[in-house]
Amino acid sequence: MSGRSRWRTAASMTLVLAVGVAAFGWPFLAAPGSQVGQLGHGTDASFVFVLLMALMCLVLLAELSSGGIDAKTIAVLGVLAAAGGALRVLSAGTAGLEPMFFLLVIAGRALGAAKGFLLGALALLASAFLTAGIGPWTPFQMICCGWVALGAGLLPRAAGWAERWLLAAYGLVCGLLYGAVMNLWFWPFMGSSAPAGAGYVPGAGASANLGHYAVFYVTTSLAWDLPRGVLTAALTLVASRPLLRALRRSVRQARFEAPVRFAP
Amino acid sequence: MRRLPHPAPLPRLLHPAAWWVWGAGLAVAASRTTNPFLLVLVVAVAGWVVLERREKGVPNAFLPFLVVGLFAIGLRVVMVALLGGGVTGRVVLFRLPEIPLPQWTSGVRLGGAVTLEGVLAAAYEGLRLAAMLACLGATNALASPRRLLRYVPATLYEVGTAVVVALTFAPQLVDDALRVRAARRLRGHSGRGLAEIGRLAVPVLVGALERSLHLAASMESRGYGRAVRRTRSSAALAGALTLLGLFGVVTGLYGVLDGTAPLLLGAPMLAAGSLCAAAALVVGARRDPRTRYRRDPWQGAEWLVSAAGLVPGVVLAVAAASGWPGVVPQQVPATLPSVPLALVAAIAVAALAAPLAPVPPALALARERAS
Repeated sequence: MSGRSRWRTAASMTLVLAVGVAAFGWPFLAAPGSQVGQLGHGTDASFVFVLLMALMCLVLLAELSSGGIDAKTIAVLGVLAAAGGALRVLSAGTAGLEPMFFLLVIAGRALGAAKGFLLGALALLASAFLTAGIGPWTPFQMICCGWVALGAGLLPRAAGWAERWLLAAYGLVCGLLYGAVMNLWFWPFMGSSAPAGAGYVPGAGASANLGHYAVFYVTTSLAWDLPRGVLTAALTLVASRPLLRALRRSVRQARFEAPVRFAP
Repeated sequence: MRRLPHPAPLPRLLHPAAWWVWGAGLAVAASRTTNPFLLVLVVAVAGWVVLERREKGVPNAFLPFLVVGLFAIGLRVVMVALLGGGVTGRVVLFRLPEIPLPQWTSGVRLGGAVTLEGVLAAAYEGLRLAAMLACLGATNALASPRRLLRYVPATLYEVGTAVVVALTFAPQLVDDALRVRAARRLRGHSGRGLAEIGRLAVPVLVGALERSLHLAASMESRGYGRAVRRTRSSAALAGALTLLGLFGVVTGLYGVLDGTAPLLLGAPMLAAGSLCAAAALVVGARRDPRTRYRRDPWQGAEWLVSAAGLVPGVVLAVAAASGWPGVVPQQVPATLPSVPLALVAAIAVAALAAPLAPVPPALALARERAS
């Protein structure tokens, strides 16, 4: 990747991160009297953000692959995404446990930030295709999973034991955060049917809504997120050493980028 | 030259995008109302079209989505009964023992009176979600989202290829996992537990990575490759448009979220940024010379099916915006919601998709054999 395209990728990643923060966190960020606050009671704004996130997903995927991905990278990404999708299909019975995350953390670490993001998004997309579960949640999940793998690629350098524990701790945090962030996209959509004191109140201010969201999170999804985080951390601890070795080996094998030139 | 009119359209698969437009329209219609009769009608229409036009052998995504929807209704009702809801009614069904909570959990209550109005409101909201899920499930069952992969713009060609690779390899990986597990069982391991999953993951993934390198070699030997199909200027234009569009979107979001920002900085900026970003997807693809093998045609049936889905969406959106009676039934006091005939007719239009769409080939063959 040349210097300029690397700079462009980083810039668009950052901008999409800002869009994502707004798309997930608008219930807390919207100032009273703002245009989002006037956009009906939450549900219309949710629709706008679903469309926006879908567009962001496509644009980011196009931008990440704009330099042209070579066949080896595509094959490795495709196969790893297949593994992620298969893990999600196998675990469909245990709703929300998502053992896919440990693969994303480890592979994101081995592949690096940009390819990690691609892998996270593609693995989620592949699993959505496999389970025929495409819906308005897919773009949100794709971007979130991409961030999980991207974060693993951006973790500080470490080796041996330190790396294993670092990745395991990161997996635990991700498992918890992913649920907290993913609930946000439909939380305002629940409208007046959310339990008292746990629903989105337009115009009530950030602190009140944060409090309501905390209640909602603890009562509904903490019971799923905590086991997921622990499972991810435990699987990472068990499998990270051999998997990292295998991944790094194949990444090294795939890197014979000798430029081919045909002279007349 | 005149085309000969034939009595029934020949069996073929409808263009997947037409089904997705149809499903999106119906889902929008469901999202605009909380009238339980209309919502049940939406689910019935979606179910009937799935029964009539689902290709044989395609997994039926409708049923799992329906189960999830029922679960959502039940969860809502139980939560409202336990924690109280936004709707406070007068008709008390029964009282649960109330647990006093400390002061800092302001507004939250546990137990207490369960009112008919609260339960009904929760059930209606849950039903609305269930109906939207049913529309999505129907669309997933009618047009496998994989078929949409063919229509990604050429800027996403590489990513699309990676997804196709993933979808092709996933069943093989499941087979691999089962084989490795069987091998471990033969050696006397239980095949369960956390450490076993780790031991399973390593050989499966290592094998898969080996295979991916073989795949890459064969892809390169078949000409998938380095040939850069886009000109330098179009790539630069696409990159600039991407950055400009993203920047516009971020600025627009700031304008939309902040109450004091000028109006122009909000929604118009957001729309302009989105357009710019979408244009970036198209610009890079414009000069792509790849051709497709066996395009799905977009013919009259596709237009009609899309329109059949869009009619209820548009009608219900207008009805909800202008406050027609019966779209959002009265919650307090609870009464039997009225059934507005115009809206029923609008939703029934979506059911026309079944007779309008051609019968998928395998289903037509099966029906022919059965009759």
